[in-house]
Amino acid sequence: MFIALAVLPLLLGLGYAMAYSLGLVGLLSEGFTLAHWEEVLGSAFFWRTMAFSAWVSVVTTVLAVGVALGFVAAWPRVFLRGSLSLFIYFPLAIPAIVMAFIVFQMLSAGGLVSRLAYQLGLISGLEQFPGLVNDYWGIGIIAAHFLMAAPFFIIFFANLYENEQVEEFVQLARTLGAGARQAALRVAAPLLLRRAFPTIVLYGLFVMGAYEAPLLLGRQSNQMVSVLAIQKLQRFNLGDIPQAYVACIAYSAIVLSLAVWLLGRNGEERLKYQGSGGRGKKV
Amino acid sequence: MIREQKRRSALWFFLSSILLWSCGGQQERRPEEAADVLSMPWEAIEQQARGSTVNLMMWQGDPLINAYMEQYVKPAVKERFGINLRIAGGQGSIIVQALLAELQAGRPNSELDLMWINGETFYQLRQIGALFGPWTDKLPNARYIDFENPFIGQDFQQPADGFECPWGNVQMAIIYDSLKAPAPPQDRAELLAFVRRHPGCFTFDNHFTGLTFLKILLMDIAGGPQVLAGPFDEEKYRRYAPLLWDYIRELKPYLWKQGNAFPEAVAPMHQMFANGELWFTMSNNDSEVDNKVLQGLFPESARAYVWEVGTIQNSHYMGIARNAANKAAAMVVANFLISPEAQHRKQDPAVWGDGTVLSMEKLPPEWQEKFRKLPGRRHAPPREQMQARALPELAPEYMIRLAADFRKEILGQ
Repeated sequence: MFIALAVLPLLLGLGYAMAYSLGLVGLLSEGFTLAHWEEVLGSAFFWRTMAFSAWVSVVTTVLAVGVALGFVAAWPRVFLRGSLSLFIYFPLAIPAIVMAFIVFQMLSAGGLVSRLAYQLGLISGLEQFPGLVNDYWGIGIIAAHFLMAAPFFIIFFANLYENEQVEEFVQLARTLGAGARQAALRVAAPLLLRRAFPTIVLYGLFVMGAYEAPLLLGRQSNQMVSVLAIQKLQRFNLGDIPQAYVACIAYSAIVLSLAVWLLGRNGEERLKYQGSGGRGKKV
Repeated sequence: MIREQKRRSALWFFLSSILLWSCGGQQERRPEEAADVLSMPWEAIEQQARGSTVNLMMWQGDPLINAYMEQYVKPAVKERFGINLRIAGGQGSIIVQALLAELQAGRPNSELDLMWINGETFYQLRQIGALFGPWTDKLPNARYIDFENPFIGQDFQQPADGFECPWGNVQMAIIYDSLKAPAPPQDRAELLAFVRRHPGCFTFDNHFTGLTFLKILLMDIAGGPQVLAGPFDEEKYRRYAPLLWDYIRELKPYLWKQGNAFPEAVAPMHQMFANGELWFTMSNNDSEVDNKVLQGLFPESARAYVWEVGTIQNSHYMGIARNAANKAAAMVVANFLISPEAQHRKQDPAVWGDGTVLSMEKLPPEWQEKFRKLPGRRHAPPREQMQARALPELAPEYMIRLAADFRKEILGQ
């Protein structure tokens, strides 16, 4: 049932994309060709796009996971009960495009932070405000995704902390003489990370394929892969459509291979951990 | 075990049926579709249209345009012609992709009946054979349109040939803040000098309007619009485009974000103009500055102008999908949209401010008078004054090549 409803449509979609990229279908196709594949895979910009997507994904995920781990290790119960537990859900309800607009309004040269800096006398004109959106390093994109990812991981880790009874291990470590910081870093964090690893990887892949925030907050010379694919698909040359499909297939193949490898390694480690008497369960 | 196998077989059969049906399922055509709408008299077309639903796809990025369509056109066509007008958001590439997918899937009845198109979309839809026509000579109100006017009868140097009906006419305008730039630049050289003195206050978008700006520069560099008139000329493009990129490279360090990023569309540019980050923005609609001041988005000091070398004037059109299910009703709606009443209302700056495609000489005197009495624009030069600096559109291939080469030469893609 899962294969029929989830895998089959995906395979059919990839099959169609593959046929389009090889010139086998499409109203303007002129028959089988590898030219579109050569054009995309031979382009340095495509690989720069892949690298930039990976950069944004890794930085966002590492920052969000780090901050979330820190919060949960410091205040494990606060996010499960009380008013803060409701407040933390709020950013999750904001669509990516709205979050991108919020970041744009906050961090652009004419935005709120810049105006505050001007009023405080930190800058003497809007042009002195550093470029935090549409910038080379993707700071704006990372900020937008971080604001969505951090609450997600805080809720996730807080629930994991309770369900996996991490507190008991922390207390045990404290009884054996570990300090609070040591117990958090050496006991709680590794336990939570091990259990959360597949979710972290999948979230990272989700950020890597993001579209809305990179479109508004990115720059054209450093694009993320989905923006490049849509550009090829929609602007303005119909002859570029097969290249959009090549970019999508190549991207899918790379991230799927990466995901299978990472999750496979994690599964092996968990089995080893179980074999050595650890408490972990196979995911 | 056998029951399990049967259940699996039934599931596979069900899924395969859905896939086969969705890939190439034939739908029954409505009876009126069989009749050739082009051979029918107008009264019969109106009769056939009654009770139909027309799916219109159009750009919905402006509240005034949306209000005009939702609060005026929709009720009017329902009341007068019994047509239900359904409006969906989408433009350019969305329309092309939708019709392309339908044609590839062999779908006999399109989801779209009427589309707001122009320029490169018209070119691409003709390329894939997705437009119905020629149909505009069937419209009674088409007699008021001057198809001989090259800014109306020609869409990006391509004759409309009855495959699209002119709906509005606009000219590109550069918008500036008159308090910050009391003497805005009038040509390429002045722009370069200006941005050197005031770096970061000027840019252009990475979409349609920005490409229109690049086309204006290209025409200027080539020595005037007549040099690039007519079909796409590869040799001329190769001669003049490098000079354009040289100029943009000279300009680049002084543009917004040192020219390392460009706004993806005019909407973020308008936003940055409104909050003071930019001193200039642009619009393909010369009346937009008045709209935006009326909406409170732009400051009162915002003004629109055109360079001494001119800006591109073009028209936008309504097209009917080749496989539209309700061609008769789509034609009736299009005929209403070009009626003197609908065009007069649309040209009012407080309503939309879109230039009419109707020829004043061809209109009855009472309508000529009504058009003359329309309130003028306060923030843009009079239309007649701008007309003297109107440049024709270039062939669509120029825009396609400029878009691709801009990415390569300036963005380093």
